Amino acid sequence: MAAITLDQVDKIYPNGVHAVRAVSLDVRDGEFMILLGPSGCGKSTTLRLIAGLESVSRGTISIGGRTVNDVDPADRDIAIVFQNYALYPHMTVAQNLAFGLKLRRIGRDEIARRIGAIAETLGIGELLGRKPRELSGGQRQRVALGRALVRQPKAFLLDEPLSNLDAKLRASMRTELIKLHRQLGNTIVHVTHDQVEAMTMGERICIMRDGVVVQTGPPMAVYREPVDTFVAGFLASPPMNLLEGRLEPAPGGGLAAGLDGVSLRLPEDQAELVHRHAGQAVIIGLRPEDFHLAPGRGQPVDAHAVATEVLGPEVILVAALGQPGNPEIMIRCPRGFSAAPGERISFHYDRREIHLFDVTTRRALPRPRA
Amino acid sequence: MDRRSPHQGEGNGLSGSRIPAMPRTAIDRADARFGWMMAGPALATLFLVILFPVFWALFTSVHDYTLINPNFDSYTGAGNFRRALSDPEFRHSLGLTAFFVAAVVMLEFLLGFTVALMLNTVERLKPVYYAILLCPLLMNPVVVGLIWRMFLHPSLGIVNYLLGLVGIAPVNWLGSTKVALWTIVMVDIWHQVSFMVVLLLAGLSALPREPYEAARVDGANALQSFWHITLPLMLPVIVVTLLIRLIFAVRTYDLIYIMTRGGPGVATDLVSYFIYRTAFVSLNIGEASAMAIVLMAIVMALTAFLYRYMRSLT
Repeated sequence: MAAITLDQVDKIYPNGVHAVRAVSLDVRDGEFMILLGPSGCGKSTTLRLIAGLESVSRGTISIGGRTVNDVDPADRDIAIVFQNYALYPHMTVAQNLAFGLKLRRIGRDEIARRIGAIAETLGIGELLGRKPRELSGGQRQRVALGRALVRQPKAFLLDEPLSNLDAKLRASMRTELIKLHRQLGNTIVHVTHDQVEAMTMGERICIMRDGVVVQTGPPMAVYREPVDTFVAGFLASPPMNLLEGRLEPAPGGGLAAGLDGVSLRLPEDQAELVHRHAGQAVIIGLRPEDFHLAPGRGQPVDAHAVATEVLGPEVILVAALGQPGNPEIMIRCPRGFSAAPGERISFHYDRREIHLFDVTTRRALPRPRA
Repeated sequence: MDRRSPHQGEGNGLSGSRIPAMPRTAIDRADARFGWMMAGPALATLFLVILFPVFWALFTSVHDYTLINPNFDSYTGAGNFRRALSDPEFRHSLGLTAFFVAAVVMLEFLLGFTVALMLNTVERLKPVYYAILLCPLLMNPVVVGLIWRMFLHPSLGIVNYLLGLVGIAPVNWLGSTKVALWTIVMVDIWHQVSFMVVLLLAGLSALPREPYEAARVDGANALQSFWHITLPLMLPVIVVTLLIRLIFAVRTYDLIYIMTRGGPGVATDLVSYFIYRTAFVSLNIGEASAMAIVLMAIVMALTAFLYRYMRSLT
């Protein structure tokens, strides 16, 4: 049993910084949970609170059903992988791996057996005699991971372990971590500011901002139904386009999301849910990937090209929606798409993908369930 | 390491393999010329004030050069060295110096490291502690010697007065052959321990924080963290600190000159002071030079050995 539960946890530093505010989080046994947020949002502090490297100011943290607020990090039976790996620089890889086991008075033979097994799993067998400074970033990262694995803890806490790797290595380590999790089935809490990592690795994502949990849920659920403009603008790349507009009556009944020169008719069920906002200003969220060039997949909208970013597999079009000079948005276009600056392009927007947010609270307005 | 000019081996993906030496370009030559120009004045000064006196002393040590008869007319070869090394007084002062240096360096290190470890965890008033610590270090050794000679005066000194208040009989700090050397050791510690503290503290505060956190999660207590992390990581700093302090301690002269003049008898006759006496009291510059060369050889050998030994540990 290694469920991790945070109940109304606060962390206030002696200098008055309120890093974590009333965070409640349930990480199920064996779950791969991602803490996602911009830097300074309190996600690393939350992880350090779970590890016991910081003391809890208010609230309770329990691991495997046991309240651990006053339990020493050593006795929480968790392992942490630090962003900069925090290997012991004066010890060889083998000594790094063995250190925690020696302190726990595990027998010499058992230590050798476990190190051998881990070295094989992670492919670091030939590095065992080397010092950390003789390793590349990716190798250090593996050793740091190995040091966590070799202890066979209840849960792993990963503090941005991939952020110091180059893009290619990061992608392959992502896959390896997912495989490792499937193989071992341990609880993992993974902190990251990279939304790609969050989307691809996590079984659930917990998005934090200013020390507060904004939204928790499976990656696709968070992507489909962001609870506010922050989540909408943070997840996915390019993120959701957020534009100020107005809910206006549509010609022929119903409601439409109106921008300068554009009117997107809402589906009837959605219009019903938001009818009390009729006539009010709202923030309209449109995903770049829900614009289509082919007709028949929604209602027509015009855009005036400003620039294109060719990414290879796709092209990102930066364009003014509606009239030229309107706020710019990003549109995901298929490979081979091109547009001259100022050119008018007709798109079709999938109208089941219109997101509306309250202008003042910036919270999402209700949408019909899929 | 193989020597290469900076632009070689870059961007060709062959950095691991040997690259044939490329002809020096005009830029390389200009760089080299500029380098010599910048280093020139410092090198000349070093030569003038360090290398030249050393060679002069070497030259003097193989001649019968005295202040009564100051010339290089009579070459004596190893004669001065033989005479110095067979002189029981010189051997006594060498032994005394070895004891003094060992005592001073060990005690100052232990005390200094303890204080540094304590100060390292202090958050508030750190500048105040620093200022207090640095006070003795800023004082001239002559001043230190004079002050302590007054403090330790057998009948008028404040130390014996304070001891008297708690019923301890007065101690003849500098006049007793048994106590005098320890008194010098104590005064030297008072004067120099902050040097250790400051250097070790700088080393401690530069240590990375993460390995400690990793060790905490790994299950290390404070003592284990110190033993397995702090000590090994501090070793390079410790080596340098010990070396510098050791070399400084060997040359201790001013304290002896001010406080005891090597006395009582020869109880505090450290080798620097003994060499001074040979040169300027006995006026035998040649033999004093030989002694100085011997001392230099010992210190250099010791330094090399300690440095290698400590490096082998890391």
